[in-house]
Amino acid sequence: MRKLLYTLSAFAAAVSVLASCDEWEPVFTGDYGEADVYEPVKMTPNTTIMELKKLYKTGPVKIQNDMIIGGQVVSEDRSGNIYKSLYIQDETSGIELKIGKSGLYNDYKLGQWVYVKCSGLTLGKYNDMLQLGFADPTGEYETSYLDVQYFIDNHIFRGEIGTPLEAKEITSADLLKEENLGCYVSLKGLKYGSKTENPAGKEIFCLIYVDPNKDTKASSNRIFLSDSGLNYAPVSDPTWGITTWAMSKQGMIKYLNSGKFDEAKVNDGSATVAEIKDKLISNASAYSVSQYFLMGNKEVQVRSSGYSRFADTEIDPAILDGTATVDLKGILTVYQGGTQFTLIDLDGVTVHK
Amino acid sequence: MNKKLAAAVPAIFIALALGAQTYTGGVKGTVVNRTDKSVVSGADIRLYSGAEEVASIKSGPDGVFFIPDLKDGMYDLVITMPDYIQTRVNVTVNDGYVKNMFKLSITPTAKVTEVDDASFSEFDMDDSGYSDTPTILFGQNDVFNNIAGYNFSSVRFRVRGYSSESQDVYLAGVKMNDALTGYTPYSLWSGLNEATRSKETVNGCEVSDYGFGGYNGLTNISPMASSVRSGWRASVLTNSALYRLRLMLTYASGELDNGWSYAFSASARLGGNDWIDGVYYRSFAYYGSVEKKFGEEHKLGLTFMAAPGQRGAQNASTQEVYDLMGDNMYNSNWGYYNGKVRNARVKKTHEPIAILKYDFTPESNKVTASVTALYRFGKNGYTSLDWYDAPDPRPDYYRNLPSYFYMENTDYNRQNYAKYMWAKESWETNVPSITHINWDRLYSVNTLNTTSDGARSKYIIEERRTDQKDFNLAANTKWYAANFLTVTGGLSFKWNRTEYFKVVDDLLGGDFYVNIDQFAERDYASSPTMIQNDLDYYFANGKAQVLREGDKYGYDYYANVRNAEAWAAGKFTAGIFEANVAGRIGYSSLWREGLVRKGLFPGLDEAGNPLYYDGNIITTYDVDGKAITSYGESEKKDFLTGSGKVNLSLYFKGGHRLYADAGYFVDAPTFSQAFVSPRTRNTIVPDLKTVKTASADINYAFSNAGYNVRVTGFYTYIKDQSDVMSFYDDSQNSFTNFAMSGMDERHVGVELGFKIPTPVNNLAVQGVFSYGKYVYTSNPTMYQTFDNSAEIIKSTYGVKIPYWKSHPGLDGKTKQHYVPSTPQLAASLGLSWNKNYWFIDADVDFFDKSYMDMNPLFRTDMATAGPDGIVTAEEIDYMASQEKFDSAFLVNASVGKSWYFQRKYQLGFSLQVKNITNNRNVRTGGYEQTRLVDNTVSKERYYRFDSKYFYMSGINYMLNIYFRF
Repeated sequence: MRKLLYTLSAFAAAVSVLASCDEWEPVFTGDYGEADVYEPVKMTPNTTIMELKKLYKTGPVKIQNDMIIGGQVVSEDRSGNIYKSLYIQDETSGIELKIGKSGLYNDYKLGQWVYVKCSGLTLGKYNDMLQLGFADPTGEYETSYLDVQYFIDNHIFRGEIGTPLEAKEITSADLLKEENLGCYVSLKGLKYGSKTENPAGKEIFCLIYVDPNKDTKASSNRIFLSDSGLNYAPVSDPTWGITTWAMSKQGMIKYLNSGKFDEAKVNDGSATVAEIKDKLISNASAYSVSQYFLMGNKEVQVRSSGYSRFADTEIDPAILDGTATVDLKGILTVYQGGTQFTLIDLDGVTVHK
Repeated sequence: MNKKLAAAVPAIFIALALGAQTYTGGVKGTVVNRTDKSVVSGADIRLYSGAEEVASIKSGPDGVFFIPDLKDGMYDLVITMPDYIQTRVNVTVNDGYVKNMFKLSITPTAKVTEVDDASFSEFDMDDSGYSDTPTILFGQNDVFNNIAGYNFSSVRFRVRGYSSESQDVYLAGVKMNDALTGYTPYSLWSGLNEATRSKETVNGCEVSDYGFGGYNGLTNISPMASSVRSGWRASVLTNSALYRLRLMLTYASGELDNGWSYAFSASARLGGNDWIDGVYYRSFAYYGSVEKKFGEEHKLGLTFMAAPGQRGAQNASTQEVYDLMGDNMYNSNWGYYNGKVRNARVKKTHEPIAILKYDFTPESNKVTASVTALYRFGKNGYTSLDWYDAPDPRPDYYRNLPSYFYMENTDYNRQNYAKYMWAKESWETNVPSITHINWDRLYSVNTLNTTSDGARSKYIIEERRTDQKDFNLAANTKWYAANFLTVTGGLSFKWNRTEYFKVVDDLLGGDFYVNIDQFAERDYASSPTMIQNDLDYYFANGKAQVLREGDKYGYDYYANVRNAEAWAAGKFTAGIFEANVAGRIGYSSLWREGLVRKGLFPGLDEAGNPLYYDGNIITTYDVDGKAITSYGESEKKDFLTGSGKVNLSLYFKGGHRLYADAGYFVDAPTFSQAFVSPRTRNTIVPDLKTVKTASADINYAFSNAGYNVRVTGFYTYIKDQSDVMSFYDDSQNSFTNFAMSGMDERHVGVELGFKIPTPVNNLAVQGVFSYGKYVYTSNPTMYQTFDNSAEIIKSTYGVKIPYWKSHPGLDGKTKQHYVPSTPQLAASLGLSWNKNYWFIDADVDFFDKSYMDMNPLFRTDMATAGPDGIVTAEEIDYMASQEKFDSAFLVNASVGKSWYFQRKYQLGFSLQVKNITNNRNVRTGGYEQTRLVDNTVSKERYYRFDSKYFYMSGINYMLNIYFRF
């Protein structure tokens, strides 16, 4: 019995000692301790956002010198209406950083200071809106997403989390001023639609593809929903019955099944929606919708993504029938010379009935 | 008495073989292991008179042998047994008496082959649908298995190309293959090598005493106290490929005078290894067993054992990643945390097994019987990262790799070379935050994501649990009906209820997580009900469940399986002829029982009415108009199965044996093949059928004077297999479920194993050769459905996969597709030297014709046609081709020695060095990602995502030092 006890004790002691030796390099198998604490970066900008923007003349500018800009985060992609981009704003202006990652709000908090070492980045325009991104060697666009994490880690730095900025209140006269573009703004007293006041204005705009996996530039693959039909033919309802901010995949299927789009034609005139409905349902995807508003006498295109969480949310009927005005808070941009507005989420919509 | 009978029965065969005898003399005895005095069954015993062989026999299950009808004279008795030194004894038979030799000791060669399941850990890529569990070969009494089991394990060799599920593994007479997947269950007792060393194995279609078996052999492990080698044994093992250290201590009393036997064993396996970072063991094992013999007829035993612990897992990556890291052993599962290597994928298990076994050996010796009750329970978990609305944290995610930014082929639409270079630099310089999991960032995201309820985690560690409750009852009997007839048979019943669920294992610095389905949220963001993982909780509380560590979430359901089986076999002997005929009939029933109501598939209420929310029906229906439900019991699928086998043998004088086996098997599909998406709903795979297998082999074996040879030819046809997987389909921009049915295979080939003495004393040449052609012979039918909705995908639902079994090559010839995950050509040639308790072995191995596991999506018309819908010969050949792995040479060697002290102590060691040439380019497995590059410039075709591979470790050693006392 003594031998048994002695042997067992020796074995138990050996196992205990060795098992408690947590580290068998290179693998650690026990308590991991605490993670490293996030340390905000401290950096001093040497250039304002407006100064940076002014570098743009007629084409994309690859920045070569040690320019550093800094600004506070004013956008969030939590709702999904802003995608892969981050807007930062200093006292002079705001700018879109085309970071190229989803879920940016997890790393970049509203009000957080972000510093950008601009050397190696490219300043370019997309339909008149200035953006800071990576060069696009194909020439198709003036910039591309930064999206290489190592590049981002070496050029974009996260600083202190400050108090989120208040929205800049903008008048209709200031909608297209560069100092306001890319900024978090407040627009007040908007009315839905621009048809009554401006015959050239639109109610909604939406581009649908017959098959999103095929050439999306081919006219045989495109269906436009706007205030006029193919070859500017009049349409019975310039809103096409769209009463939501956008259309998720399921929202799109619902609209197709409702028959509201039946009259619309493929852009080469080959078929109507009614004729190819099964195919459209089978290929259904989420689609962005632009809803047009008037601010004073200026048209404001409120563009919402079909991938946003509020895509299928109904717009207040009082807005749609014109009996209510609306105040909007979000990011001010420009699209082909016109004002475009991006909601961060529906908290940015205040209805006045 | 039964011992005498066991010895007498084979003796009768000899008598029959040799014709009429008139002598009364004979020789009898018991063959035992010199080391621990345990009996050695199956030893080859030959009696020579001068140069003439006069008798040949095998020792019985209790080591006893009896050679009757010998005339007076001097004989040489030669005992041969694999892994033992051949023993020669002089025997004199006088005056017509039977000479009793009592215990004849044979000495083990001291080569201790440490088959540890750790070296065969399954490739379980839960996210991909790919899983690969290897076969473990036990060498017992078979020269092919003996050598192949040791030399081929590192390349995950599968005998005859069969999946590991087809290998039956029994414990104390109870079939232990996983009730839900069929996988072999070695991990349940890993680390208990000594306690489970007693095994009996049959090959191919041979019939075993313990069960009917299938077409890939049956191994029965006896874990009862009296089967464990008596005495103490302690061992220390270190190796460089798996873990740093194994400590093991075992004691067995043997059968005491009072009828009691008891045994216990414990072990610990700890640490990492030299080759794959992040893979580690912190595993323990314990075992206790007692047995009591009541008189001569009854024995009752109880065993309790388990192998609790955790093991860090390896991940497969693309070749691009391996090349960037300059290391085929790269593992993407870990990252630095507080300066330590932390693995996100950890297997955590503690599944005890309790066994109660009763043996009945009546005095009449006509019958033996045993009844076993076995219960398996406990937890089996696998951790993994989970995240909600945040970037993919896996370092080798395809968007993090250089190839995402630039490809030479402009059609990929990836032409940013500068970005490519940035990404390449980060990998080639091994920036830890890029090339490994960035734990600091995950914690930072979680802690900074403050809400009024605390910090909401965006990244967590989940634990996917598969907790089994598995009760088995098995009864076996053996009846010596007549000199020429032995009948065996048995009944078995299995009751299995396994709960599948997830728990929050670690909130990674956050305070809570939320129980919603983020994949549903992408499509149904505006629906508060459809995104709920637990709709009833939402109805009761008005919000999704807030989760803390340890809470269940995601999915929760029971898999229920009931199996019952009866089998019988009759062995007939007549002269040199032996025949064994066996039959089996079985019944299987399986069903799912959802424990939570998922928002996507809420089903009906208790009264059978549709469910409503906010005035709208939220019940969803399938194509037949039937409500799809995640909650409650599914339809029960019942299967009646049956099988038959026949083994025919001819034993010739001189140690020659010619034998053939054939069988036809009808087996039920497993639970894992039966449901379209068991995590979300009760829907059963359409067209679910039994699997039909026809198998035959013919063999020649020769065992004499140190020669040991087996040659086998085999043919097996497997029909109507099915498979289920889930993956993201880029062409549908959606997560989908994919079921296949009607998958047929044909396995044809030859096996050769030999060990031949050389003119040099104590030196033998040994080798194995396995060559086969294992191919798919049918194009299965596919059923693809959306995971998030009741919709089917019309183009891939209920239609054949046209390029599964083969595809037309560019030269117009048909290119065959092969059964993957094993070399179809494997060969080994080596030398083995034994003398004075030394052994030295050295082998050269060659492997070829190993193929990639195919995904069915690439073999569909959709994938080969591309977005333009036009199928070209180039597209078919590109998309449907199956990758063949490069052939490989390996060199292995082992050496061992043992010393005896004072006739009661033994100290020994064995050292194995594998892959001596340090070949780090041997692919041992891999799978095709089921994803397509669809955003091409031409919009004419798709491209494949790169495949992922597993590689074999480079040069590695295993040193085992043991002490018996």
